[in-house]
Amino acid sequence: MSTMTTEAIRKTVMVDFAPAEAFALFTARIASWWPVGSHSYAGEAVQDVVLEPTVGGRLYEVTNDGQQDWGVVLAWEPPHRFVLDWQIGEARGTEVEVRFSAEGPGTRVELEHRGFGSGDPRDRYHTGWDVVLAPFVERGTR
Amino acid sequence: MLDALGDATRRSIFESLKSGPRSVGELAEGLPVSRPAVSQHLRVLKEAGLVSDSRDGTRRLYRIEPDGLLRVRDYFDGFWSEALERFREAARKETG
Repeated sequence: MSTMTTEAIRKTVMVDFAPAEAFALFTARIASWWPVGSHSYAGEAVQDVVLEPTVGGRLYEVTNDGQQDWGVVLAWEPPHRFVLDWQIGEARGTEVEVRFSAEGPGTRVELEHRGFGSGDPRDRYHTGWDVVLAPFVERGTR
Repeated sequence: MLDALGDATRRSIFESLKSGPRSVGELAEGLPVSRPAVSQHLRVLKEAGLVSDSRDGTRRLYRIEPDGLLRVRDYFDGFWSEALERFREAARKETG
């Protein structure tokens, strides 16, 4: 097994928005682009996805039956970046950071999903799972 | 796959396996659920690739599958590609 596979996930996408608009689309209108059909607890029954815009705010899906948490905001610095404590399933306790930076007339959006464990198989076994499973790890914002 | 550890009992079973391989009977002793229930939970964890089992004499031992973590990462790698592509599409529609 390559050590590369446990590195943080990094993705970059360019959009024609200014950073403030890109940040707003990403955080305030999540339901307009999030693939809820395949990536949510309730699937097509999801009516909305809400990210509360403040440190300690919740990210959750909304259905007729109520709400289901996806994560908690650890850092909130519009329109530059935000960080989430990710609380879904096996990835519980990992972190997702999204950064927005102006590039030409548009915005570069960089996403990093980290905390899946180190490349050492022993670390994966002994501490990697602790990281992933710790449901409510106390973390400070940076 | 993402719901395999969404259940509190399954998380307890998984936590128990961190200290080493266990049989269904050993796992059931420390939990307020029946052996068949433990077996059912182990089946879900096994299908998600999070635990594996092997025969040890007359009994079957369950253990954590270390590579399960890599599968979780790979799952999210594909997920974020799809999600960001949809984000880009939504931005393109809004900017016309």
